[in-house]
Amino acid sequence: MTRVLLAPFTLLGQGSVRLMSGLGSWGRLVGDSIRALRHLDVWVPLLVGQMRRVGADSVPIALFIAMFTGIVLALQASYTFTGAIPLYFVGVLVGKTMMLELGPVLTGLALSGRVGANISAELGTMRVTEQIDALETLAYPPLAYLVVPRVLAGIVMFPLVTALAIAVGITSGWLTSLALLDMTTHEFVRGLTLFFETFDVWFALIKATSFGFVVTSIGCYFGFHTRGGAEGVGRSTTRAVVVSSMVILVLDAFWAVTLL
Amino acid sequence: MNDRRDALVGVVILAALVVITLGTLWLQGVMVPGERVDVEAAFSDVGMIQPGAGVKFRGVQIGRIRTVEVDESGEFVRVVMRIDAEVRLPDDAVVVLSPESMFGDWQAEIQAPGRFSEARFTRIDEEGVLPGYALPDISELTAAADEISDNLASLTERVGIAFSEETAQNIASLVANVEEVTTRLADLVDQQAASFTEVTDGVQAAVDEIGGAASQAQRSFAGIDSLLVRGNVETSLMNLETISSNLAALTGELDDTNEDIRNLVLQVDSTFARVDRVMTEVEEGDGSLARLLRDPTLAGELEAAAAELTLLLEDIRENPRRYLRLSIF
Repeated sequence: MTRVLLAPFTLLGQGSVRLMSGLGSWGRLVGDSIRALRHLDVWVPLLVGQMRRVGADSVPIALFIAMFTGIVLALQASYTFTGAIPLYFVGVLVGKTMMLELGPVLTGLALSGRVGANISAELGTMRVTEQIDALETLAYPPLAYLVVPRVLAGIVMFPLVTALAIAVGITSGWLTSLALLDMTTHEFVRGLTLFFETFDVWFALIKATSFGFVVTSIGCYFGFHTRGGAEGVGRSTTRAVVVSSMVILVLDAFWAVTLL
Repeated sequence: MNDRRDALVGVVILAALVVITLGTLWLQGVMVPGERVDVEAAFSDVGMIQPGAGVKFRGVQIGRIRTVEVDESGEFVRVVMRIDAEVRLPDDAVVVLSPESMFGDWQAEIQAPGRFSEARFTRIDEEGVLPGYALPDISELTAAADEISDNLASLTERVGIAFSEETAQNIASLVANVEEVTTRLADLVDQQAASFTEVTDGVQAAVDEIGGAASQAQRSFAGIDSLLVRGNVETSLMNLETISSNLAALTGELDDTNEDIRNLVLQVDSTFARVDRVMTEVEEGDGSLARLLRDPTLAGELEAAAAELTLLLEDIRENPRRYLRLSIF
């Protein structure tokens, strides 16, 4: 009876301990990775390759999502504004929404599924096959070799991919306005430039940079701490995607509160 | 193969940087073909104007707002506009900030001051800085309209209350009462007209009588004057002086008499006080008289002594030698 009554508190306590333990382990991984930056000879040669995998290879999926997001935004904006608000406000909504919210967040979520899962699965497999242990045995810094180039690639490439996604999203919204909404280029551009502020671009890039850091670092963390063979790899991959997606949304709210 | 992949990364980076840079510049309105020139204007308030807003001249957009900053002195806002260099502005050009639509977007319009001759433009002693004025925000206008509508509503409500059905009935009743009172007053005036004539006649007669009395008084005053002239009054005054002196002497004697009476009264009062004291002692039984009055034995003895004294006196009278002996030697 007592155990049943205490069960919720026990679960809450255990969850809190696991959460804090996980945060501590992740923080320690990040700290160790920062210290591993001194091994330039190890991670610099690998950086471009990781930038390609994390960034360049992710461009198509990011642009694909952004393109359809721009189309849907333009259509929904025109549907919402019908009759009451001038149609050039479609440009305002498409521009502001793509820059401030949907561009960074959708790109981050898409890349958390692609990049985060990729990193977690790769490092998890190396962990369960004891390749990481072999690196440690050979006194080869595993963090500088495996974590640093991936995290740096995420930090550098996420904003760039996001910028391209925003541009594609706005362009697709403009084309949709021309083709389907009977708007002129002048009207769309007028709305696009009406409330534009340079800070909007910086806001998007800051968010994307933070998303790149959390997606890659969380993927590395779960990959590094994989246990239990192939099943453990799958579990780590799933956790990496779920956690990084949640953190992206939390960070999105955090930046909105602190910067806007 | 690796080089191609690395080149792909470079392409992505370059493309992204180009997109970010050119896109930002284009959205800022910086990337516009043709030569540009910066024009400054000073404002006391800039409403909702923001960098990037359009700058128009005669209705044609010729540039964009570049910066909006409060001057270091803090006394005005300095707005820098980047406009087409080929546009020739009037020498007395002013800048008016106004809402471009009802959705919060504003614009700057460069124009001659004639249209806004009564506006209070902000002018500073700095060459090349155009005077500026910001029209009231739509929210200010709506606030003013809202206030006016509130006042009208209040006024309408009060008028409605004042002219309710009950009030109308009261007013109708009041009008009827006034009409009735007016009629009564008219009748009263008709009735009083004759009385007024009589009163007037009476007043006339009274005036005539007063005139006669005045004539008589005038005659009396003339007689008094003649008496004064004849000296009778002086004699009378001398008699009166004599009488007054006699009265003064009499008054002095009366004062002495009064003093004597006052002393007499004081003596009587003292006597009565002593008598009262004696009587009090008698009543309380103090003194010989009190004992005499209270003790019947003493009274009897006294009476007997008186009788014996009487006998003794008779005996002395009859036989003086028994009691008196005179010898010269």
